Amino acid sequence: MLFPTLDFGLFFLPVLLLVWTVGLASNEWRKIILLLASWVFYGFWDWRFVALLIASAAINWGCAQAIQRRLDDGRSAQPWLGIGVAANLAILGFFKYFGFFLEQLAPILARAGWGRDLPVLEIILPVGISFFTFQGMSYLIDIARRQTAPASFLDITLLMSFFPHLVAGPIVRASHLVPQFKAVPRLTRGMVATALILICWGLFKKTVVASELATGLVDKTFFDPSAQTGLDLALGAYGYAVQIYCDFSAYSDMAVGLAALLGYRFPRNFDQPYRATSLQDFWRRWHISLSSWLRDYLYISLGGNRGGVWFICRNLMITMLLGGFWHGAKWTFLIWGALHGGVLAIERLWREWRPEGFPALPKPIAILIIFHIVVAGWIFFRADTLDGALAYFSQLWAFRPGLALASPLLCGLIALGLAIHFTPPTLLPALGRRVAAWPAPVLGLAVGLAILLTDAMRFEGVAAFIYYQF
Amino acid sequence: MADQFDSPVDVEADEQGLSGLAQMAVAVGIAVFTLAMLNAHALGAWADGLEPGARTARISAVVHKLADQAATRGLDGPRAALKQQWDRVKAARWPDQASGNQDQR
Repeated sequence: MLFPTLDFGLFFLPVLLLVWTVGLASNEWRKIILLLASWVFYGFWDWRFVALLIASAAINWGCAQAIQRRLDDGRSAQPWLGIGVAANLAILGFFKYFGFFLEQLAPILARAGWGRDLPVLEIILPVGISFFTFQGMSYLIDIARRQTAPASFLDITLLMSFFPHLVAGPIVRASHLVPQFKAVPRLTRGMVATALILICWGLFKKTVVASELATGLVDKTFFDPSAQTGLDLALGAYGYAVQIYCDFSAYSDMAVGLAALLGYRFPRNFDQPYRATSLQDFWRRWHISLSSWLRDYLYISLGGNRGGVWFICRNLMITMLLGGFWHGAKWTFLIWGALHGGVLAIERLWREWRPEGFPALPKPIAILIIFHIVVAGWIFFRADTLDGALAYFSQLWAFRPGLALASPLLCGLIALGLAIHFTPPTLLPALGRRVAAWPAPVLGLAVGLAILLTDAMRFEGVAAFIYYQF
Repeated sequence: MADQFDSPVDVEADEQGLSGLAQMAVAVGIAVFTLAMLNAHALGAWADGLEPGARTARISAVVHKLADQAATRGLDGPRAALKQQWDRVKAARWPDQASGNQDQR
């Protein structure tokens, strides 16, 4: 069930009604309703994986209790933390990486004459597995670090299953959401207005901008780069940068908006990433919940900044390589991670060794350079294979003249997708404040007309969000 | 720069008038009514996609009746006009650019 569909609308409206009627009488019932709704939502993909979700929550709940008991007794939390993290990694590893490692191992085993013994397994990837396993691990580490207290079984199961963030984040941490589950939520007019703006804006970004660019330009340029002109390939790469931003940030916007209508606050996941002046700045603005997760639970665990400059560069590289691998078991994701890790390391070295008095790059130039590094990375990220990515670069370099695919509309959508990065950062709160003052019927009419306008422009059918595959 | 836990919905607004909950209930109700009137055909298309069965047939009959009534009263006009304009924008090409196979609907 995808957010921008009527199926989801017809699912969400009764849930909203139940939560604000039955749920007002009892907070426990509110959470039970949300939990059952989340399982129905997840079950739309595959009912079998609801059991996996429940099992995963049960493991994390059990490990959290064991960790807390050991901490209360003054003993080390390490054994149960290790078991819990290993269990989460085992779930993730089996479903996401087993096939990849088997594929890499196959030629070696075949050479040794053991090729026939390889198991033939078609493993279906449960939607959102990377998100809920990371959520589970951060919960256990936070308890071991005494940064949060163990939650009840209902709260931890709801935390991991809560449908607005379940399949593509943001990765909401227990320390942020569990305290909200414990209190009876309260809606403010500002929250309602901003939530409705985010839902409408997300709907537009996904169903119009991202879908139009994907179908009209990006899918065609990446399918067969050798058949395209240089300008189409360049616009295809820029188009993908806009598509992935509009697709993923649309999901986050809608997730934040839907959770807010249910009374819960999710953290910001995007902050105009293409206006970043360094790659470090980019990662403070792009998929903030993942980048802060990698920083807090991986980079810092590796030693973080506590060491010499080469030690820091090593940690950056490992973090970004694993960040790339988190996206999927493909060499293209590893190269994408290596590119980001390498540039982050170079930035770090430059900060360390930059000659005194050396002038900093003008801000627009820095933005332009970082944007193009990010776009180069997106080519690896989007290409199906390493050969496909290299073919894209070589055809781009050859630059065949002409323009066949990129229509004025598609160019306009790329320009729009980039222009929204340069609006004032205070635009959304300012708009939210203004819309909150509108009478409710005017607000309702405006929302209805905004959705109607988007629906008139959208494609028939909606492709899954890019981050569903992760 | 965004704090890792700040939320985009943390907006301090004037809370005079209806409560947040009442504001949401009225706004969502009116948005749903507006869409049911002006975009009833979408409900029809959704019903057509359901698995065939006795209950589905009843839902489909009700939904199509609503869509037909809306069309008779011209309520589907604004969406159709918007779509027509959008299709015109989609079909536009640069000078010397061949008309591509852009429209995949």
